[in-house]
Amino acid sequence: MQKCTACNLPETYETIEFDENGVCNICRQKVFKDESIDWKKRAEMLARVVEKHRGKYEYDCIIPFSGGKDSTYTLWYLVKHFNIRPLVVQFNHGFMRDTLLENNRRTFKKLGVDVVSFTPNWKLVKRLMLEALVRKGDFCWHCHTGIFAYPMHVALKYQVPLIFWGEPSSEYTAYYNYEDNEVEQVDETRFNRFINLGITAEDMYTMIKDDYQCDPRELIPYTYPKLRDLKKLKYQSVCLGSYIPWDVKSNTKTIEDELGWRGDQVEGMPWEEYSYEKIECSMQGMRDYIKYLKRGYSRVSQMTALDLRNGRIAKEHADKLIADYEGRKPPSLALFLEYLGISEDQFNHIVAKTVVPPFKPDFEGMEYASKTSDFDRWYREDPQDRGIIAKNSL
Amino acid sequence: MIGILNIGLGNVQSVYNAIYENGYDPVFVNEPAALTELSHFILPGVGNFNAVMQRLEQLAFVNAIENLIASGTPTLGICLGMQLLATSGVEGGQSNGLNAINGKVAAITPQKGLRVPHVGWNEVNFCQAHPVFEDIKSGRDFYFVHGYHMICQHSDNVIASTDYGDNLTCVIANKNVVGVQFHPEKSQKNGMQLLENFCEWDGLS
Repeated sequence: MQKCTACNLPETYETIEFDENGVCNICRQKVFKDESIDWKKRAEMLARVVEKHRGKYEYDCIIPFSGGKDSTYTLWYLVKHFNIRPLVVQFNHGFMRDTLLENNRRTFKKLGVDVVSFTPNWKLVKRLMLEALVRKGDFCWHCHTGIFAYPMHVALKYQVPLIFWGEPSSEYTAYYNYEDNEVEQVDETRFNRFINLGITAEDMYTMIKDDYQCDPRELIPYTYPKLRDLKKLKYQSVCLGSYIPWDVKSNTKTIEDELGWRGDQVEGMPWEEYSYEKIECSMQGMRDYIKYLKRGYSRVSQMTALDLRNGRIAKEHADKLIADYEGRKPPSLALFLEYLGISEDQFNHIVAKTVVPPFKPDFEGMEYASKTSDFDRWYREDPQDRGIIAKNSL
Repeated sequence: MIGILNIGLGNVQSVYNAIYENGYDPVFVNEPAALTELSHFILPGVGNFNAVMQRLEQLAFVNAIENLIASGTPTLGICLGMQLLATSGVEGGQSNGLNAINGKVAAITPQKGLRVPHVGWNEVNFCQAHPVFEDIKSGRDFYFVHGYHMICQHSDNVIASTDYGDNLTCVIANKNVVGVQFHPEKSQKNGMQLLENFCEWDGLS
């Protein structure tokens, strides 16, 4: 596979393109971010956005919040720098881990904020995971659509037009290129572009309704609200990282120092180097494993790519981490298969259909990654609850 | 209240829908008396210059629209609606327009094998800024369907042009009046932004 000569990302990476020197567009837009965006002007824009909305509604803004490094930094930054009064909105995907929940509790208490949390029906979540896995080789549809759609429903319910997300997508992909020099709008266009895998909630309902007992209203949390309703609200849904230059490492240091935020072990990652990335979800190792099987890289490559771009890691060390950690099977595979009620052979068969050429995965002889310290506390389905409960068996 | 002229000629529903999706509650205007209720006025754009002007005369709209424009009400002409803002046109025979912007409307002269009418997406290149185009970059694509084009008497009324062999004037403005040759209601994201900007505009350029 062709890889970026600067950051190592391979040609199977979403939105990647290489120039004549073999340097990728994600690296190029990072240079633009550092050298050509007028961050002083962006900071003034941020102040205008905040002041335009301050004190006019029940809350100044909505902050969608997972408790990972980005949303925690966003909440901290807006409370500390702007003394903003936010409503923190948490979409619980069903796999939140102990350290994350402790971090959240501490963060909420230290900052003194109001929080609403929503957890959707687990039985439906499992059915959605299976459908998205089979169709797209990506079981995270329920989480990604829920995370981006549900807080918009809360914004409408509370009539709060300003919604602050954290990291702009330009940090990782070129769906929105820093070189366009625009503020990324976190709207339905973006939702349809790369969040929902091309499957709307309405599509999803028709895909599952024949075998799964489902009221169409159950899909509302995954449905993007109507544009007219959001426009009537005069909504503004933006990333803090469009107004201040996003720096994952220094942001993480800040929330560790200021909020006592702690990282965690994530399956398949080098725990010493990358304790801060994607600690939210006990199925993260599975997501990264499928990514490896489909595209020949996983999160180690993504994290080292970011550090290579920032000149924070030597190429040799990045190569070694990738060689040592990528392409391991996560222990959570067993739990995942129990949730969905499929065998590993069935799983491999499904994933094989979604492989991105020219990568060819080797499903055999893959070693297991280490178990994380909280693995034994992750949710396990009782034998009688395993798999999808089909319509006719109710 | 945002009013859309509806005199029974051509499709006006798509303009209504685009304004509605933007969060507003527009009304159709089918009698001159209704114009006085409006905060914003839209002349949508399907039909034939001469036929529409005759119809506007019959319905006693011409003076009423001229008064509305003179009163400072933000007014947007779309496609033929833009052309009607001119002093005169030749489509369907020589006729006078609403004369809100000094200029005439003429048939597009075919260039370099390009077909007329000009149909499809084309880039809109700005030569000056205008509040109705805030947050819309120069060079973005909008959807065109037209066989006639505006020729302004004064270049300061020209806001943007599009390259179709010749540079065709495609956005014009004068005080509280703005006209666009393309169809914002058919132009996706940038068109929606334009319509929203117009609905928020106070008519002061």
